[in-house]
Amino acid sequence: MSTPYRASVPTPGASPQWRSLDDLARLEGGGDEFPADASEWPDALSRRRFLQLMAGSLALAGTGACTRQPREEIVPYVRQPEALQPGQPLYFATAMELGGEAFGLLVRSDSGRPTKIEGNPAHPATLGRSSVHMQAALLTLYDPGRSQGLMKSGSPATWEDLLGTLTEQRARWQERAGAGLRLLTRRIASPTLREQIARLLTKYPQAQWHEHDAAFPAPPLPAGLRLERAEVIVSLDADFFGSGALHPRAAFDFAKRRRADHGRLYVVESTPSLTGAMADHRRALRPGELADFARGLARAVREPGAEADPWIPAIARDLTEHRGRSLVVAGEFQSPEVQASARELNEALGNVGQTIDNLPPAPGPRAAALPELARAMHSGEVEALLIFGANPAYDSPADLDFNAALEKVPFTLHHGIYFDETAGRCAWHVPESHFLESWSDARALDGTVSIVQPLIEPLYPSKSAHELFAALLGELPADGYEIVRSAWQQRPGGGGFESAWRKTLHDGIAPQTGTVSAPPAQGATTQIPPTEPAAFQASLELIIRPDPHLLDGRLAENAWLQELPKPFTKLTWGNAAHLSPRTAERLGLAHGDVAELRYRGRTVRAPLWILPGHADECVTIHLGHGRNCAGSVGSGCGFNAFALQTSEAPWGGRGLEIHKTRERHVFATTQEHQRMEGREPVRVETLGKPTTPPAEAAPAREETLYPNIDYGRPSWGMVIDLNTCIGCSACTIACQAENNIPVVGREQVLRGREMHWIRVDAYFAGSVEAPQLLHQPVPCMHCENAPCEAVCPVAATVHDHEGLNVMVYNRCIGTRYCSNNCPYKVRRFNFLSYNDTHAPQLALMRNPEVSVRMRGVMEKCTYCIQRISAARIEAEKEARPIRDGEVVPACAQACPAEAITFGDIHDPESRVAALRQSPRHYALLAELNTRPHTTYLARVRNPNPEIA
Amino acid sequence: MALTAQRCEQVTDRLSGLVLREPLRRGWLAGFALAFALLMLLNVAIPWLLIRGVGIWGVNIPVAWGFAIVNFVWWIGIGHAGTFISAILLLLHQQWRTSINRFTEAMTLFAVACAGLFPLLHLGRPWVFYWLLPYPDTMALWPQWRSPLVWDVFAVTTYLTVSLIFWFIGLVPDLATMRDRAERPWMRVVYGIGALGWRNSARHWKRYEMAYLLLAGLATPLVLSVHSVVSFDFAVAIVPGWHSTIFPPYFIAGAIFSGFAMVLTLVIPVRAVYGLRDLITERHLDHAAKVMLATGLLVALGYASEQWMTWYADEPYDAFMSHNRMFGPYWPVWWTVMACNIGAAQALWWRRVRTSPALLFAVALLIQIGMWTERYMIVITSLHRDFLPSSWGMFHATVWDWATFAGSLGLFFTLLFVFIRLLPMIAIAEMRKQTTEGRE
Amino acid sequence: MGQIVCAWQAAIGGARGLRVNSGFARMAQLFPQYTNTLARIALPCLALGFSVVAWAVHAAWFSSYATEVNTPVEQPVPFSHQHHVAGLGIDCRYCHTSVETSAFAGLPPTETCMTCHSQVWRDAPILGPVRESWTTGRRLRWKRVHDLPDYVYFNHSIHVQEGIACVSCHGRVDRMPLMAKQHSLYMRWCLDCHRAPERHVQPMSEVFVMRDEPAQAAAASRLASRGELRGESPPIFERGRQAVREKAVRDTRLEDCSICHR
Repeated sequence: MSTPYRASVPTPGASPQWRSLDDLARLEGGGDEFPADASEWPDALSRRRFLQLMAGSLALAGTGACTRQPREEIVPYVRQPEALQPGQPLYFATAMELGGEAFGLLVRSDSGRPTKIEGNPAHPATLGRSSVHMQAALLTLYDPGRSQGLMKSGSPATWEDLLGTLTEQRARWQERAGAGLRLLTRRIASPTLREQIARLLTKYPQAQWHEHDAAFPAPPLPAGLRLERAEVIVSLDADFFGSGALHPRAAFDFAKRRRADHGRLYVVESTPSLTGAMADHRRALRPGELADFARGLARAVREPGAEADPWIPAIARDLTEHRGRSLVVAGEFQSPEVQASARELNEALGNVGQTIDNLPPAPGPRAAALPELARAMHSGEVEALLIFGANPAYDSPADLDFNAALEKVPFTLHHGIYFDETAGRCAWHVPESHFLESWSDARALDGTVSIVQPLIEPLYPSKSAHELFAALLGELPADGYEIVRSAWQQRPGGGGFESAWRKTLHDGIAPQTGTVSAPPAQGATTQIPPTEPAAFQASLELIIRPDPHLLDGRLAENAWLQELPKPFTKLTWGNAAHLSPRTAERLGLAHGDVAELRYRGRTVRAPLWILPGHADECVTIHLGHGRNCAGSVGSGCGFNAFALQTSEAPWGGRGLEIHKTRERHVFATTQEHQRMEGREPVRVETLGKPTTPPAEAAPAREETLYPNIDYGRPSWGMVIDLNTCIGCSACTIACQAENNIPVVGREQVLRGREMHWIRVDAYFAGSVEAPQLLHQPVPCMHCENAPCEAVCPVAATVHDHEGLNVMVYNRCIGTRYCSNNCPYKVRRFNFLSYNDTHAPQLALMRNPEVSVRMRGVMEKCTYCIQRISAARIEAEKEARPIRDGEVVPACAQACPAEAITFGDIHDPESRVAALRQSPRHYALLAELNTRPHTTYLARVRNPNPEIA
Repeated sequence: MALTAQRCEQVTDRLSGLVLREPLRRGWLAGFALAFALLMLLNVAIPWLLIRGVGIWGVNIPVAWGFAIVNFVWWIGIGHAGTFISAILLLLHQQWRTSINRFTEAMTLFAVACAGLFPLLHLGRPWVFYWLLPYPDTMALWPQWRSPLVWDVFAVTTYLTVSLIFWFIGLVPDLATMRDRAERPWMRVVYGIGALGWRNSARHWKRYEMAYLLLAGLATPLVLSVHSVVSFDFAVAIVPGWHSTIFPPYFIAGAIFSGFAMVLTLVIPVRAVYGLRDLITERHLDHAAKVMLATGLLVALGYASEQWMTWYADEPYDAFMSHNRMFGPYWPVWWTVMACNIGAAQALWWRRVRTSPALLFAVALLIQIGMWTERYMIVITSLHRDFLPSSWGMFHATVWDWATFAGSLGLFFTLLFVFIRLLPMIAIAEMRKQTTEGRE
Repeated sequence: MGQIVCAWQAAIGGARGLRVNSGFARMAQLFPQYTNTLARIALPCLALGFSVVAWAVHAAWFSSYATEVNTPVEQPVPFSHQHHVAGLGIDCRYCHTSVETSAFAGLPPTETCMTCHSQVWRDAPILGPVRESWTTGRRLRWKRVHDLPDYVYFNHSIHVQEGIACVSCHGRVDRMPLMAKQHSLYMRWCLDCHRAPERHVQPMSEVFVMRDEPAQAAAASRLASRGELRGESPPIFERGRQAVREKAVRDTRLEDCSICHR
């Protein structure tokens, strides 16, 4: 509901680009509610209903406290599966695929329901770490918005109907040898599926296979980075900590190197990226300049000479001094010549084989790209189009006009997990099984293959791609398990198959499938270099990138990711056009203005976000938003950047004009203020320089009116290393999944009521032109002198003997005094009933070990107390102390960089205790004498003296 | 003797007549209608609050306390004037209190009733409010005594009880008078029950005087204690702008300040409508205004010392806070507070202002606005930017914030209008007493 | 004082045309004599009434109606612990398999029932639902007897491990034809043990044995916590102390909220 009564106060005179615009007391109406309960005024509330509710509430107010809970039932098995113990979770190894690469997972199953996803320590791509996408995949499984039935031209149909139609179709393909039959898939990681495709292509030789993946255009070649070996790294717009296939492995290796000896990272990029934030030297250049820079760098390494840019000789010298121990990486969205310069540099520096491996592409047939398909469709050559997973009706370049082309195809079939834009335009839609519901296999970047095993029966009558392909080929077996199993049986493998199969299932990776190295791959990318007509030379440059969380929109329906604050902007529920302060000033644009972006004859309206650290004279927009058939969550937030994408220059180019409109936009951001105000919550030190003592040292005041609790052992504490934290927010989502944290929706975020227990603060330090980008994860500090505890009137938040600041939901009456008195503002309050209690699927998803909080109670980080209790009980049963590292909170477990360490701070042997001795160790707001148990290690910079 | 009798009779007759004979005036009806309408608004706002949760208000993280607490402190403050007048001025033998004490005591009661509403409503789970009370429960748990909110519960309830008894004891002789003068039998019975069989013997008067005196003695410390405790809600916290030792005296001064402002905003129209100018004279207004001026200066001193301590302590968070109040997003709030509470109050130096009802009314109104805004400043502008810049935010009141506030005003005035119709708004017996003493 | 009275008489007199006593005459009509007595009685009655109400609420709260103590719950099959435990001497763990390893003690799958009842009482009518479940594969739906709120995370395995006997909480199930709660399961009741475990802990050998000692200990403990033992400790506590000494129960944290609530 709109609120005309917002305090009508002008905003102060702070420099505009820093202060967020929600300060302007304007809150736009509507907004996507999730769940519906979270809105102050439910949509379509009749007078009658209103009165009913009021009457009901008065009764509730009286008797709410003395109602008897309903009689519950216990429903034991008829035959109890062995190894299953009621109340004890089980863990299964499986794998998920993203962008055609496999990520090995370890999934927790509580009484037959997958409830938490972690990385598989044995898997090379994850090493037990995880990313936001791996964590969020859980919600997709239980998402009520998933496609729940097979559809024929908009009306429900059965699998048998489809089989009938397919037999007819097969006959036609047979006689025409597959001419006019086209497959369209995303990038595929499953060897078995590739084999099935190969079989299809051999069966119908004229048929063609096209691949379209708007978020992962090409494999991130050269792939095998060994960041832990590289002492000097130069990134040419390569965001290997971003959502690409390298993360989280890259973060893990990089952190390992930084912990050993700091090394040095140069990042040259156009848009602030997670990688850029970690740089010792970061340079913002627009794509054109970046290409020149790359060329110059290559030249400088070949024959050192005078360079216009002072950075180039300095970096070149640094690189040449570290031959074989350096690394140059070009971003996957960069033009071929940048890729070429990077390859040339690595070869010149002898890094190939040392810090970088060329990996072989997956075996099997190659796929053509989307433009060919579109052309064929327009010219009416295509008779049958089978779309697997892809959503081209939404995520294809505008110039292809895919929807019009789709009209021309007689037989269209869409297989996907959502009934999306494409599904709506296809004759047939087959719901796709989630990877936690179906059998498959997946190949990792380095060739390691894992089996994807389901943890739960399909929630809806859905089919896996394998099963659908079997139907297409008219093959048997038709059941996913049999298909995958038989495929593996045919592969060469030493020893008995059964034992090998079981071992692979158990470990999550097939023995010795990982391949090491291969001949250097040529032609890194299939992209055509963007053509730049002279007319565009003067104009702005457009940069198009996948959204860091929603990617190309395939995850738009995932509410966790929608509400996960984006890096730097902390923007939720939407996207923006980012540009630098100086450019904005030149064009007279203000933060929050809605502008018309005109690019090569196409137009889109986008709100402007003025982002310090962004390159001048260019604008970045993110894909994946502005969908209209995503579902109740994802539809209609943000603008659709695909409207500006062209097939010949998919990642942007020159020729952009910005025209300001009168309209203004209020961003739903979780952090309104990004200056540090001289309070230095994030400390930055320079390598070699003596650590500067904090301005305000922690007072050693011990006297207190109340008895000090003597914390025996264990006394839990957490140390967060800001030097390795890449700010990817995996911790936030992991926490959300582990602790049943609800999503509140855009309007509630606008009101400042987001619920994340661990947030990642972003600060801009230094000058507006070249700021330093800083991250800081902030969970509850579990202060020994916790200000929140003293003020709670009902003792709902108290200290326990393990040094935890405990929040007792069932005792809380919701005075919110504790939050007022918390200097870190880490407490979250259920202002409305945020937990969706209507959708039965979401009930299945919840972690049974954590209370689901009701409206009106405070909540906050508990250090994953359910995991602590589990460990304590096990330890006491075995009559031994809890081992160091036995308790791992969800955030620490997910963190790809192992930046979060948790343990007993009173145990001198523990890693936490060791870290607390580090000279970089400091406590947030120590001057308040709260004695926090969550503390930080300062960020370190290792500048190149020639540049600094 | 006879003269005195005559005069007493006149007083008695007029005052009881206001209730017993006075026809329904259009002014009264209009006022009552308006107040009642607002009360109905509260009647919608509260159930809706219980259905949806406190989220219908503008509160958020970091500003977890909003209008509810602002209104609570404001109403409690207003209550103070009544007790101050009836208790402290009685002990100080200030005769002029007589003609307004009954009225202000009623005001106190109603204000405290409104105030008591808000702490309950602002709970996330109001239906378990009783966990704030110590009683042997099935959980073997007690309230957490370190929390000022628990102290509040006791402070406010005590205050309400004592004010109620005080008011009622004061009423007894007048109820007897009403009983004797009411024409309709059922009214006599009703008033009679209230009169507790007062037969006006010297023993009655002796006990009465004693009880009244004792209660006055009991109420006096309450004037000081209640708002001190309320101020602890803030002073105990570590929030810059709350964590201050001067809060108790500064809150009490503010309370009496706003209380007297309310007294005047009520008394001035009433005396005009019911033609009581000879009973509530310019002299009374003058005195009240003087008290207001004095307390206003104390409040100003409070502001000043707050600034001075901020400067002297040289504590970065406090320094930022006070700067942020003056020039931050909420700058109009601070300047309004200064203009109304310090600026407007200075007009009271002039006798003309103090004795002209119209001007005095205007000043009183300004001061009430100022005091409400001051509470807004203390609660909200302190919270919205505290220690970590990353968690700074803004508070924007919603429709329901305002509805609840307006509703509480409705409750207050409804009660007040009913009181005017049913009970003598000026203490008859005491007036008589004064008249006679005036004679001898 | 005197002048006040005269002032008052003057006032009333004035009102009544100087017929000073008329006021009292009317009053007699207004309220009969006995109203005074009524008023005097009313005061103590009020005080009494208040305490009665308070007591009644308290009593209701702890009554077996509220706590459902000793009220058997109707089940799909009238399973008799008395018969199986006392009669046949089957160990608790035969059916409640996960009581030592998991938070949930576990309810036997139909399979377990059928291990015997495929042989004995093969066609007893009361076992119909069991056989049906076995043949149809439809699960039996038992009613919960001991049902804690969802925000209480009770863990059987650790209680058993630390020597809390089944009897201590579930009572003498070997004497129950139909299962019924023996205790309110109120938090107050939990705390009685968590605040003084040494009064309740049993030797490991007796955890699964149906004996009266734990119940006696519990009763004594309740008396003690009410201070009715005047500090003296009955011999029954000694067993517990012994047991506690054997396996050092960490009782420092047993009163932490976080032990049961998350």
